[in-house]
Amino acid sequence: MSALVEMKQISKVYPNGVVANKNVDFAVEKGEIHALVGENGAGKSTLMKVLYGLEQPTHGEIWLKGARVEIPNPHKAIDLGIGMVHQNFMLVPSFTIAENIVLGSEPRKGRFVDRAQAIAATESLSKTYGLQVDPLARIESTPVGMRQRVEILKTLYRGADLLILDEPTAVLTPQETDELFVAVRKLVDQGKTVIFITHKLVEVKEISDRVTVMRHGEVTGRVATADVTEADIARMMVGRAVFLQIDKPPVQRGRVVAEVRNLGYVAETGRPMLRDVSFDVYAGEILGVAGVEGNGQTELVEVMTGLRPATTGEIRINGAPVQGQSARRIRLSGVAHIPEDRLTNGVALDASIAENLAVDRYNRPPFTRHGVLSPGKIKAQAMTLMQQFDIRAAGPDAPMRSLSGGNMQKVIVAREFSAEPALLIAAQPTRGVDIGATEFVHNQLVGKRNEGRAVLLVSADLAEVMSLSDRIAVMYKGEIVGILENGPHLTEEELGLYMLGLKRQEGTRKV
Amino acid sequence: MTRQNALIEAIRIVAVVVIALTIGFVITAIVSKEPVQAYTALLTGPLPRISFENGFEIKNINRFGNWMEESTTLILLGLAVSLVFKARQFSLGAEGQMLLGALATTVVALHISAPFPLHLILALLAAMVVGFLWGLIPGMLKAYLSVDEIVSTLMLNVIALQIFDLLLFNWLRDPTAGFIVTPLFPQSVLLPQMIPGTRVSLMSVLMLVAVVVVWFVMARTPFGFELKMLGANRKFAEYGGINTKRVIALSMAVSGILAGLAGAHLSLGLLKRLTINLSPGLGFEGIVVALLARNDPRLVLAAGLFYGYLRTGAQIMERSSDVTREVVLIIQAIIILLITAEQLFPRFQQWWRARRSSEVAIERG
Repeated sequence: MSALVEMKQISKVYPNGVVANKNVDFAVEKGEIHALVGENGAGKSTLMKVLYGLEQPTHGEIWLKGARVEIPNPHKAIDLGIGMVHQNFMLVPSFTIAENIVLGSEPRKGRFVDRAQAIAATESLSKTYGLQVDPLARIESTPVGMRQRVEILKTLYRGADLLILDEPTAVLTPQETDELFVAVRKLVDQGKTVIFITHKLVEVKEISDRVTVMRHGEVTGRVATADVTEADIARMMVGRAVFLQIDKPPVQRGRVVAEVRNLGYVAETGRPMLRDVSFDVYAGEILGVAGVEGNGQTELVEVMTGLRPATTGEIRINGAPVQGQSARRIRLSGVAHIPEDRLTNGVALDASIAENLAVDRYNRPPFTRHGVLSPGKIKAQAMTLMQQFDIRAAGPDAPMRSLSGGNMQKVIVAREFSAEPALLIAAQPTRGVDIGATEFVHNQLVGKRNEGRAVLLVSADLAEVMSLSDRIAVMYKGEIVGILENGPHLTEEELGLYMLGLKRQEGTRKV
Repeated sequence: MTRQNALIEAIRIVAVVVIALTIGFVITAIVSKEPVQAYTALLTGPLPRISFENGFEIKNINRFGNWMEESTTLILLGLAVSLVFKARQFSLGAEGQMLLGALATTVVALHISAPFPLHLILALLAAMVVGFLWGLIPGMLKAYLSVDEIVSTLMLNVIALQIFDLLLFNWLRDPTAGFIVTPLFPQSVLLPQMIPGTRVSLMSVLMLVAVVVVWFVMARTPFGFELKMLGANRKFAEYGGINTKRVIALSMAVSGILAGLAGAHLSLGLLKRLTINLSPGLGFEGIVVALLARNDPRLVLAAGLFYGYLRTGAQIMERSSDVTREVVLIIQAIIILLITAEQLFPRFQQWWRARRSSEVAIERG
């Protein structure tokens, strides 16, 4: 095999002095699937931006098929056969899939776009590479997985031989991930080369031929995937062993903290999103909620925290009914909430860290006394929490925007944990954060459980649910199809049957 | 803000003002036969002159007075706008609230008799209550029915103007006067004069109080915190338990109180009666002041004084030179445009910082 692309001694120093890449050597061979892994901020994305012409290296050379090349912009990269699929899709929602694929280099008939040919081109590409799409569907009405296939087809339409996929599975459900992997293998069979950026080790093992590991802007490992274990890769990423197994004492179940009975929620569109959901969460336990995303987990959390009104049913916290009450009243009843999408409602990017840490408590002592708010007290709290939760930032007045994803999540965790809740609802608490922060959050959740709090953990990451929970409730199409005791006897396969709706527990109502 | 940032900010403001004034002078030079004299009128017109010809004497105190009167109105309007802008609500209703505030004081002035200062207090309260209510309407519409506040406030401005005209024409006007105007207000309701020879009144003091109060509300009350969180991210505020609907409605209503006071200043302080065409467009100048001050009430004070100075100087330039009103307005607009051009100068700052830090990085090797 010969190297298709070689990046030699690449360094990238940003104008603000941040060194994103330091003398990085990176080589990809033709026809391989090459995983590029590292924690958030390790420099993976920067390196790929350099290869795609979005950033110019401070030092270093890029060689393609044995010849040195300059890539001043993405246009040039596309000309050279390099395509990139970004994490955030760049598609026109109101256009059809075929239109999106040809956009920018449309087949023409006279002065007009040749639609028939655009559709034909889309269909033939789709068939060749096994990427199922409907050429006439509009992007806005297609699921995320299909949008991603469109992005890949778009780069293929432009003649890419080397595809860079930037954390392609971050937005996908488990099934969609499987479909993607099939497609990626097919691409390679057809002679394409794929660079796969990720920080999920399971995926590295499953899909890649070789792996390059980065840490702090440098390459810390370059190995054939078959020769290493996940733990080996993790060590190269963080420079120390990561406890994928979490130690926790046996469950000491206390009284019932949250009682959910026959909860139903119908969306504005008229679609029922929650159907007859009932469960209890006890003090001192973690109840995991597993399920393929989009099966009602988001709605369950938002109804329980007062962000959406329940259509039917009852929720009691410490015996007192809370359904239909405001988010503030529910917080005051002892519920804290780590939201699934931190940028939407977990933080205010333009406010300071101190203000973000006080959004649920600014109006009571010691922050407000006799109607007068004390910014000093808010700041003092922030200093304490930043130290306690190891939040790395310039100071309590620094804008939230200046923090990394992992540190933002720590701010949220710090706020919700310091609220001393009876029930902590954690939705996707480690999504998009690096291994260090993930471990931190996991330990904090287990710590709350050991203190005797009730924890409801909703996560699309099955490994997370299985390693933290004492019991696991599985959601399917808005229903709870089973509540299972967690333990060595419970396998991923078993849970999968529930998640896919193939199995349901006796006693749960069949619709 | 660090000291270095504060320095850059100060340099930025000075540079912008110098550039803007230079462009203004070039335009003046093109249209005027005696540009230096005309431009001097713009730049120094509002200042009083100290003369020792007949012993100590301050001349042109009325011009200084014009500056202060103008600034008082502008600052009140600027405070009104900065309150809603802080919550990221783009209410443009200050104009209508100001008109109705002035109207409310007129009704109290002419149809209620009471001794001073009770009469004045009643009139001011009327202006504040009417402003509050007229702001509450678009606030409630936005909060509970998601009606776009830009549209609703602009439409309410038109309605306010029609109510103003209707009452003035049919009920409040002085039938014996040759033009449409109310009778002069009784002394008991007028704002007491503060500087002899000018119309600078108690409202200028109340304006200073308003600056402090608005600052306090924004920085030292839970409501101010809610306002800020709402402006930073509405969904975050809701998640944190803030009743954002209430805050949206209140922000617009509270803003109306200040706009209503600005209206009271026009009627009770400056005109001492109500006339038709009461300062059209003045409500929108409050937006300029709020933008200049970046919604910081302390800076609203400075921005209002600056903008008032500019407007007064422009009027004097227009009166005392061959430069026409339109050209004066163009110069004024250029200055404001340059100062509010947030894009240009932060870019320069970024570039400057980037250059410095990359130098540092290289030195460190």
